[in-house]
Amino acid sequence: MITYDDEVVCAPRAGTLYDVLELILDRGMVIDVFVRVSLVGIEILKVDARIVVASVDTYLRFAEACNRLDLEHDVRSKTVPEMFGSPVAKTIGRAGAKHTARSLTDKVRDILTPEEEAEAAAEEETRPRSRSVERTARARAPERRRTRPAARSPEADDRPRSRPRRRPEPEDE
Amino acid sequence: MTAPATTTTPTGTTARTATTRTATPEAAPKALYVYGIAPAGVRTPASPGVDGAPVRLLTGSGLCAAVSSAPVRLRPRRRDLLAHQAVLDELAAQGPLLPMRFAVLSPRPEALLDQLRADAVPLSRQLEEVRGCAEFNVKGTVVPGHFADLVRRDQTLRSLALRTRRRPDYEANVRLGEALAQAVRREARRAAREVLDRLTPLAVRTTPGRTDDEQVLSVSFLLRSTDERRFRREVDALARDRGDRLALSLTGPLPCYSFVEPCPARAGR
Repeated sequence: MITYDDEVVCAPRAGTLYDVLELILDRGMVIDVFVRVSLVGIEILKVDARIVVASVDTYLRFAEACNRLDLEHDVRSKTVPEMFGSPVAKTIGRAGAKHTARSLTDKVRDILTPEEEAEAAAEEETRPRSRSVERTARARAPERRRTRPAARSPEADDRPRSRPRRRPEPEDE
Repeated sequence: MTAPATTTTPTGTTARTATTRTATPEAAPKALYVYGIAPAGVRTPASPGVDGAPVRLLTGSGLCAAVSSAPVRLRPRRRDLLAHQAVLDELAAQGPLLPMRFAVLSPRPEALLDQLRADAVPLSRQLEEVRGCAEFNVKGTVVPGHFADLVRRDQTLRSLALRTRRRPDYEANVRLGEALAQAVRREARRAAREVLDRLTPLAVRTTPGRTDDEQVLSVSFLLRSTDERRFRREVDALARDRGDRLALSLTGPLPCYSFVEPCPARAGR
């Protein structure tokens, strides 16, 4: 029997403004005689903000997750496929999905609410800082680390790491 | 500057021509922001429009256009995008509607009424085409994971993983990670095709959107309102089955942005 907990991506996410952005900006009717205002910023919006670059950073995160798999055992016991649907793989998938979704949303919010739009930002819900921006800042200046939320546990395992982890994996919590 | 200060420069009149992209409301004080076109007789939307302006209806030739005074400065601010959307939602709840794209202005009310008259036939035809229908947008993004399964099924991936395990270094990790990312994307793309195959038969029409390496599914479906519940159930089931590879999102009912001809005047000629 399959059970789901709250974290499993098993229900479709409800749409947000971001999901309809391309429709509002690029679809819909434009009649000849009407004028489509040339909007400062509309080109910026059209820049495909969805692309979360498949950066080396992401590759390293995936490799790290893969390195934790029991590969040696795996090869010897190919006849036991249950091994592979292990909860570790599932939790990693979940964490990854959440991370991706969050960084997308944040990026869009940042684009939709540029600095000068402070008054617009005030009416929005408090938004967390963009993860990707944070990451870039940290990569450039590792000594200037931002305060991290208290919920983030310190590194639970003692393997040396070349760089700080952005996000504790669920099994560390 | 030699031009008399009291008159506009010759270029001041170009704001009235349709092709000028830089027309500003200052140059045409009677400019209207146009939200959409519906059959005559709908109730005026109560939601405030772009820049908080009250929305009114201009009626002519059996059609009506929802408009408000164009703001002095129009930008794609979040609240203005939401206002555009809210006005259209209210109209769409009453019946068929042809939504305009964000930031479409008509230089003068008369120009808009002329346009409704000239395009009455194609506009009415399009309204009939979307009557009783709404747009639903489904997006799917890659869910990374399933590494154990991928490694088990893919010999190349497994040998790469084993090699990296035995001789771990930066380069090898990057290569392994990249190979995993590609495999994960392939899985998500396959799931996206399956989702599309299952949902398409439920729709009157579909319009694909842009996809990329992260968002591998983006399709708008035109659904009869009677099919909405079935469609939702199907999306729920697909999200459950494929959720480990593809994260689905469903937005709707929406005004039929993706199912109107962008320029009915041109199409009608």
